[in-house]
Amino acid sequence: MKKLLALLLALVMVLSLAACGEEPEAPVQGDDNTETEGLTAENIKIGFVHVSDPSDMGYTYNHDLGTWKMAENLGISEDQIINKYNIGEDEGCATAIEELVEAGCNIIFATSFGHGDYMTEAAAAHPEIEFCHATGAQAADSGLSNYHNYFTSIYEARYLAGVAAGLKLNEMIENGTITAEEAVIGYVAAFYFEEVISGFSAFYLGARSVCPSATMITLKADSWSDPVKEGQIAQSLIDQGAVLISQHSDNPSPATTAEAAGLFHCGYNSDMAEAAPAASIISARADWSIYLTYAVECVLNGEEIATDWCEGFSEGANFVSPLNTAVAAPGTQEKLDEVAAGLKDGSVHVFAGPWEGYYVWDQSPFTCAEGEWVEESEDRSAPYFGYIIDGITLLDA
Amino acid sequence: MTAENIKKEPLIRVAKRPEVSSKKAMLIRFSSIIVALLLGGLIILALGFNPVAVYGDIVKGSLLSGTALKATAKIAVPLLGAALAIAPAFKMKFWNCGAEGQITVGAIVSTYFALNLVDTLPRPVFFVVTFVVAAIFGGLWGLIPAFFKARWGTNETLFTLMLNYIAIGFVKYLRIGPWMDKGQMFPKVPMFDKAARLPEVFGVHIGWIIILALVFFIYIYMTRTKHGYEIAVVGESVSTARYSGMNVAKVIMRTMFLSGSIAGIVGWMLVCGTNYTLSDTTANGYGFTAIVVAWLSKLNPFVMVLISAFLAVLQKGSNTIQTNFGIPASASEVLTGLILLCMLGSEFFINYHFVFRKKTVGGED
Repeated sequence: MKKLLALLLALVMVLSLAACGEEPEAPVQGDDNTETEGLTAENIKIGFVHVSDPSDMGYTYNHDLGTWKMAENLGISEDQIINKYNIGEDEGCATAIEELVEAGCNIIFATSFGHGDYMTEAAAAHPEIEFCHATGAQAADSGLSNYHNYFTSIYEARYLAGVAAGLKLNEMIENGTITAEEAVIGYVAAFYFEEVISGFSAFYLGARSVCPSATMITLKADSWSDPVKEGQIAQSLIDQGAVLISQHSDNPSPATTAEAAGLFHCGYNSDMAEAAPAASIISARADWSIYLTYAVECVLNGEEIATDWCEGFSEGANFVSPLNTAVAAPGTQEKLDEVAAGLKDGSVHVFAGPWEGYYVWDQSPFTCAEGEWVEESEDRSAPYFGYIIDGITLLDA
Repeated sequence: MTAENIKKEPLIRVAKRPEVSSKKAMLIRFSSIIVALLLGGLIILALGFNPVAVYGDIVKGSLLSGTALKATAKIAVPLLGAALAIAPAFKMKFWNCGAEGQITVGAIVSTYFALNLVDTLPRPVFFVVTFVVAAIFGGLWGLIPAFFKARWGTNETLFTLMLNYIAIGFVKYLRIGPWMDKGQMFPKVPMFDKAARLPEVFGVHIGWIIILALVFFIYIYMTRTKHGYEIAVVGESVSTARYSGMNVAKVIMRTMFLSGSIAGIVGWMLVCGTNYTLSDTTANGYGFTAIVVAWLSKLNPFVMVLISAFLAVLQKGSNTIQTNFGIPASASEVLTGLILLCMLGSEFFINYHFVFRKKTVGGED
């Protein structure tokens, strides 16, 4: 009996070794656009890989709005668009992309940072299809002409939301609700890396530009979308002294948590005043339809899509939701108009000094002097501002 | 039996069935699936979709295209592997709920090799070495609760379950800490080098050949070897085993090492064959779903092949309907859960039946 087993195991090993001998197939590099000729708005097929689904009322909801606006702009019908919802940042992403390829998509969008590795591999394997990855940073380095990254300079809208938050803090200080030292913002972060850091730094600098005593504490959820955890983190921040909550996560649960605590909130992605009308002051939002329309038009016209695309507030690629005047401090709208005009004409720089801080990855100190500023997203679309400004404390770094 | 006696009886009572013919058992199992599909259909209707179209899409999205079929196979293979892993332990009535953690440990050590040593070893040697090391470490992870059970009689269900969280927590630490992808500055483990990825046969990594070989191995091991006999005796009665001179502690530890090893191998093929990276979700619940597979198949390895294939179709298919119909992820999980519940429930009806009061007139034995 043991001999039989040994024989069986040996057979398995031999089979495995024989299979190992084959070299992995090299991706076939072919001509670009060979199959994109003859494409029209009537026959193009567009695929999307989403990390959650529009019911999150946050990131995916907002990106999905962009999809349908793009379809309307270009006269593309619903059945030409294939959405893959709830695709995690794992092997399921590779399968989802393969299924979109199989369904005949000419251009495929993926919306979450962690989809990047799978997009890179798929782009190399399918040179005839255009791959566009939001928030990612691998396209330029990959050297693939059919692989692109896109993002909006959302830090501008965040800065504006920060100004509204700062004015609210001022109002609370003046009313005597809190002292100047108690002007603590709590920030629900998904992860700690450039995309998130850039966002909360911009928000904080916006708040500090009007409320100099404002400080910020952050906690991370280790997930883009986890409604329960996001709410718990918001509560934890409130317990540790935060009087105003903002977030870089996909769900409105931080907004409703702030509302339940009788505090205030600034949102992201969707207008979170709908979820928390008594708390949410304003939300920073992206209009993805601008990029989506551009990219799909490029494919239809046989033009190259930019490897890195990042447009901002001036172009309407990001914006803030209408101010919730029931909650906002008086005079906020006027101040926002003024700052918005400054962002448009270039007189307001989001990451302007003076501030001191450290680089998140090696803790090396960094100083931005008065009159200087750090420029964000110049050589690639994804944010790369990775400094932790003094006044911001990562409670769990 | 008098009228008063009848009144004392409950309206419905549950009675053990006498021997059920295999034909009748199959009929009950088959009708339970029909009931599940009907109940699921009601839920789909309530969500506002056409049940026939949705069920059609489950089949289409899991079987009727090359990519779909491959993706389904990639779910079925580790599921079958995990079920084979827990089978010997369950036969021994050692409730190994820790396959999830044992898979994860196998995946962790494989990842260590893939990230650090893939360049230093020839490719076939690399796969053999990682295979063996993953099996050993998975086995050791399974050995821990077995040792405590054998030595101090600890509760293995809780013990194995808790070890899962330790293994998965450790992956989180590695992902955020020492193994973070430095190139991306994002808390995720880097993708494996092409050389560290298992070659494919018919579009699916060669792990499927190994798992199919293991089906035969486990079948022979459980039914035709001394070890298998000892496992069965320990499972039936520890006292009998001890009386007949078996070293019960040794049997428990040896069996759990085997169980953990196979789970470790599943972890190895998940990272090297499917995911090409390590994440908190590498084990993906296979270790738990495997319990359902093992139970439904009554620990018969050949039946496990069918059950795991069926569950893989359900899982892949439910992903597809989320996409095509926008059915929320949770709703399609309800659907899958319902089908499983009915299938497991059918075992109840095979062993028991309801006796109604009226029918008992005339006596019951």
